[in-house]
Amino acid sequence: MTHRRERQVVVGQAVLSVELTPDAITLLRFGAVTRNAHLIHYDTEFARSEGLAGPVVMAQLHGCLFHRAAAEFAGAGGQVREVGWRNRAPACVGDRLVVTGTVRSVDASSGAVTLDLVERCGAGGAVCCRGRAVVIPG
Amino acid sequence: MIRNAVLELVEERALASVGRWERRSLGVVRAEDAAEFARAAGESAPYLVDTAHGDFTVHPMYVVSLLRGAPGADAAEFRPDGMYRDEVPGTDGLDVRLMAGGQDVRWVGEVRAGDLIESRRALTAVERKGVGEGFLLLTMEKVYGAARGALVEVTERFIVR
Repeated sequence: MTHRRERQVVVGQAVLSVELTPDAITLLRFGAVTRNAHLIHYDTEFARSEGLAGPVVMAQLHGCLFHRAAAEFAGAGGQVREVGWRNRAPACVGDRLVVTGTVRSVDASSGAVTLDLVERCGAGGAVCCRGRAVVIPG
Repeated sequence: MIRNAVLELVEERALASVGRWERRSLGVVRAEDAAEFARAAGESAPYLVDTAHGDFTVHPMYVVSLLRGAPGADAAEFRPDGMYRDEVPGTDGLDVRLMAGGQDVRWVGEVRAGDLIESRRALTAVERKGVGEGFLLLTMEKVYGAARGALVEVTERFIVR
């Protein structure tokens, strides 16, 4: 008889990083499928007139990266119950976005694991979003 | 705080709409659209991008990322900056800058291909933040559901300058 080895999750454990470097084509594709025509995502001149360095990444695309980090941590058979993030600084076209994180808490009764997540962007690694997620590991 | 007549008008309009729930149909979820969304988001997992995969799943962020359902919107529904006139309450017709502030997404059910999705939303808070002219932080609650009940709840924040 074999037993499934129970996965151990501990506070402070690292969340494997996920990353994406969205270019102008990425934003156009993502905007098209979500029907987002806001010019700050496509038009350099307009974005600069708004005080931005250039076209910026959509909030929902940041959310997708946080979700991916959470889902990969939850693993096969796991669930992502919640994902949240706060935008701290705009991320521009061509910026390398990297989401990392750690386990903040583990609820022994429910099995829910809360993750602290952060997304950094560009060569300097500036924080562009801070987030959290609640997952049930598989 | 420095006065800004346009922001004050947005604030007045937004406060007047707090608690007023609106409904919108996002149409029927198509597996192909959800897969396209997943690809555009940089996903490569077959269960998200391959509709023929036995465990194909609608990307959990798909429905909450839709600003409109098919068949989209008429030209008259857009602001000059390309955003929808009614996307951020209180801003229609005003020369303001709009930015997303962040979201909290809570899944209470699973969105499936074929679901007819309805979203309900209501503004719940209007806050003046920052220094100088400052900015408005608008908080909105959204619920996405299908015939079998609520599927996703979202708290979304917009920044208006």
